Amino acid sequence: MTTAGFRRGLVAALPFLLSNGAAGLVMGLTYKGLGLGAAHAILFSLLVYSATAQAITLSMWASPLPVAAMVVACIATNSRYLLMGAHLRQLFGGLAPRKMLPTLFLLADASWLMTNSDADRNGPDAGYLLGSSIPMAIGWVGGTGLAYAAPLAANGSLKLAAALLPTMFIATLLPSQWKNARSPWPWLTSAVAALLVARFVDPSWSMLIGGGCGTLVSMMERKDG
Amino acid sequence: MDDLQVLGVVCILGVTCYAMRAGGYVLAASMRDDGIAARFLRLAPGNLFIAFIVGGCMSGGLAGLVGTVVALVTMAVTAREWAALSAGFAAAFAASAIVP
Repeated sequence: MTTAGFRRGLVAALPFLLSNGAAGLVMGLTYKGLGLGAAHAILFSLLVYSATAQAITLSMWASPLPVAAMVVACIATNSRYLLMGAHLRQLFGGLAPRKMLPTLFLLADASWLMTNSDADRNGPDAGYLLGSSIPMAIGWVGGTGLAYAAPLAANGSLKLAAALLPTMFIATLLPSQWKNARSPWPWLTSAVAALLVARFVDPSWSMLIGGGCGTLVSMMERKDG
Repeated sequence: MDDLQVLGVVCILGVTCYAMRAGGYVLAASMRDDGIAARFLRLAPGNLFIAFIVGGCMSGGLAGLVGTVVALVTMAVTAREWAALSAGFAAAFAASAIVP
């Protein structure tokens, strides 16, 4: 975990201040519409810190609160983090748990993807994971708070920008990943499986199932791993 | 709704989400480096990138698809992140204006 890696991750993830800020703002405005207080909404975004889990539990909001169903929904939508965490152990297994476990509190799809891409270029550095996670968390929690502080309403452009940046940002990492690929088949399998899952099952499972199918094809075509 | 009840639910959901984030890391300590699971994890990132992008394009509609493709092509050609994101956003907003 180096300072240089932390700085590199922090700078690389600065655009997420805006996109996560816009998405957090939309989430905050929705909480506000439900009648949730500012402190609860900010705490929700800080502790749960997951757009999919928050959106799903939001849709289940009722009186009395269906706590067990909400917990199951959180486990189902965030199961991909188990895979991400296990992969991070391979990268940072030598690092003391007292350094890694607090960092994992801020683990997000984009910070994990960026950390993997950076590890290919510069070698594994948990400082990068922490650095890239911070602008994302500040944007998300700050955006939620801003929804209560400013007289704003969610508009189309804001929603579109917030929805698109993470996907576009990860797309810019693909060319550097391509050099590790031996054939297009695993990626093609991932794409088709993700497409089918998003279309016919549930979009929140598309990354895990699609990526899993593609990885199985990678395993079949490589013997050396 | 009782404030304390809401606070309790938020904390329970927060602990659940953190358990998912840290769980994989903690459980992987007992995994063999040369096992099938370790090999799966080594090969997973690129495939997860693709699946993440496809999921994002699906939820972003035509604007998301156009913006992502333009960002990807611009990155492949220029190797400049700022150029790729600018071109991607411009294309996405243009697409959403043409086909709302």
